[in-house]
Amino acid sequence: MSAEWMKGLPVLSSAKMSPQKTGLVHSVFLSVEELGNAAKRLCDHGYSIEDVSVVDTVQGFMVVYHFDRLTSPGRVALRVLAPHDKPEVPSISEIFSGANWHERECHDFFGVIFTGHPNLVPLLLPEDAKFHPLLKSTEEKRAIPEIMSPGDVEVSTPTFEALFPKPEREEAGAEKPDEKSAKEKSTGPGPSAVEGKE
Amino acid sequence: MALSGQNLSQSVAGDFYTQRWETGPDDRTMILNMGPQHPSTHGVLRIIIEIDGEYVLKAEPVLGYLHRMHEKMAEVRTYIQYIPNMGRVDYVHALAWNWAYMGAVERLAGIEVPERAEHIRVITTELNRIASHLLWWGAFLIDLGAFTPILYAFDDREKILDLLQIPTGSRLTYSYFRPGGVAADIDKEFIEGVKGLVPYMRSRMPMYRDLVTDNIIVKERLEGVGVIPLETCRLYGATGPVVRGSGLAYDVRRAEPYSIYDRLKFDIPTDQGCDCMGRYLVRMAEIDQSLRIIEQAVDELPEGPYLVKGAPKVRWKAPAGETYFAVEGARGKIGVHLISDGSNKPYRCKLRSPGFSNLSLFSEVAQGVLLADAVAILASLDLIIPELDR
Repeated sequence: MSAEWMKGLPVLSSAKMSPQKTGLVHSVFLSVEELGNAAKRLCDHGYSIEDVSVVDTVQGFMVVYHFDRLTSPGRVALRVLAPHDKPEVPSISEIFSGANWHERECHDFFGVIFTGHPNLVPLLLPEDAKFHPLLKSTEEKRAIPEIMSPGDVEVSTPTFEALFPKPEREEAGAEKPDEKSAKEKSTGPGPSAVEGKE
Repeated sequence: MALSGQNLSQSVAGDFYTQRWETGPDDRTMILNMGPQHPSTHGVLRIIIEIDGEYVLKAEPVLGYLHRMHEKMAEVRTYIQYIPNMGRVDYVHALAWNWAYMGAVERLAGIEVPERAEHIRVITTELNRIASHLLWWGAFLIDLGAFTPILYAFDDREKILDLLQIPTGSRLTYSYFRPGGVAADIDKEFIEGVKGLVPYMRSRMPMYRDLVTDNIIVKERLEGVGVIPLETCRLYGATGPVVRGSGLAYDVRRAEPYSIYDRLKFDIPTDQGCDCMGRYLVRMAEIDQSLRIIEQAVDELPEGPYLVKGAPKVRWKAPAGETYFAVEGARGKIGVHLISDGSNKPYRCKLRSPGFSNLSLFSEVAQGVLLADAVAILASLDLIIPELDR
């Protein structure tokens, strides 16, 4: 079942992940409005912030927040999607002070605006930098289902299903065939096949 | 995007960051720029400090003087070509970064690492951890005003670098790990050297204690200085000796065991002091624990391949997917968030450096301390600037 901290939280989706494969225990998609609430709950449940990162995808900027508990480990990823034309996500630096610098870094690299951030000025890039180095061109951009598996979905909503269209989900839900095909594709030139664990 | 402060008149003194500085109500204060070139910053770290006499009212680190955009480089190089970058993110504990990245690649592709390679990784990474702690020890004491200890520390560190040079071929920016193992096997000379080093380092530790740890001046400078409550560590995501020096036995090698660490016996040193002394004692105790780990790994070193058969080559394509892998570096939790779209280059590679999170709490901790203590606090966080800036 879903974790204690998540109870009653309106999520777009929540999925159990395999820690051996993804390093995560839970992956949760949220609407931008619920992000603050979710972070607050994680904070109340003793989680610590690990990092904030952004992935530029076809569907928009996927902002990923990693949390882990220092006492009983189990990594949780919160994800929100910010559209390219209005890349705004509320800042959680009021809740987790450590998010402050991570959000500034994400603003540097992607131009995502963290609303309510106390000091959203360049951290790593020069103060007069007029570019965001990690933005991808249209050809380079991938859709979210192409770069991650939805995991073992527990809670789902229409918004999430639109993100992960049905066939992708079934394939990933079954896992084995998906992985096999990925492995076949991954065989590089020469006899450099991967000696898998399976 | 227009940023407030950018339109300030050119006649105002200072640069972007000092111009934006909001001074407190007291107009007798002074703004001091410590760095980016300053004897007591470990590289090009800059800290803007507002001081009232000798007391720090507000301090704000300014990063980016050594920023190289490693995360962008990941997206334009193949998985294998990116390995040398890892030795340059944190050159002092380079092998831990090697491991964090390799671990992520291996987890993504489901590559198994042979037993012998796992042992080699443990031995070399722990040797590197000791070297890192020795460097920190010397530099830390220089910051406190004691020059001689670094000469002893470098003498011992030199012995470790000489050893690590045998299998890795380099002394500082190692790029030794490969997906599925390591680049070269360890030989008899290395193993004998390590066997000799362990008792030697153990014999040196009492001297370190007598010379420095029990020194009354060091105690006065460190005890009760720079208190970081555990709650602060949690909210900022501080890890490594910082959180252990605040009394919590959190170590990625135990919390999320990777490789053979679940089979090795070692303690996680902690200190309830939460102060600079606490962090100091934790690192010194960690040297002992690393020696214990090395001893066990050398004793149990199995025969066999050092690299898995059919290990990925330069143009190897990783299967699509997302993964996160964390290891315990000398400064704390190193995390690599790797996303692949199935091509031969990472789609996104986020590097979580422990020093970044550890330093971010400095502003809060430095409030109201003496300027000299602020330097001690900075040094007790064990900062490696290339790792902060990446």
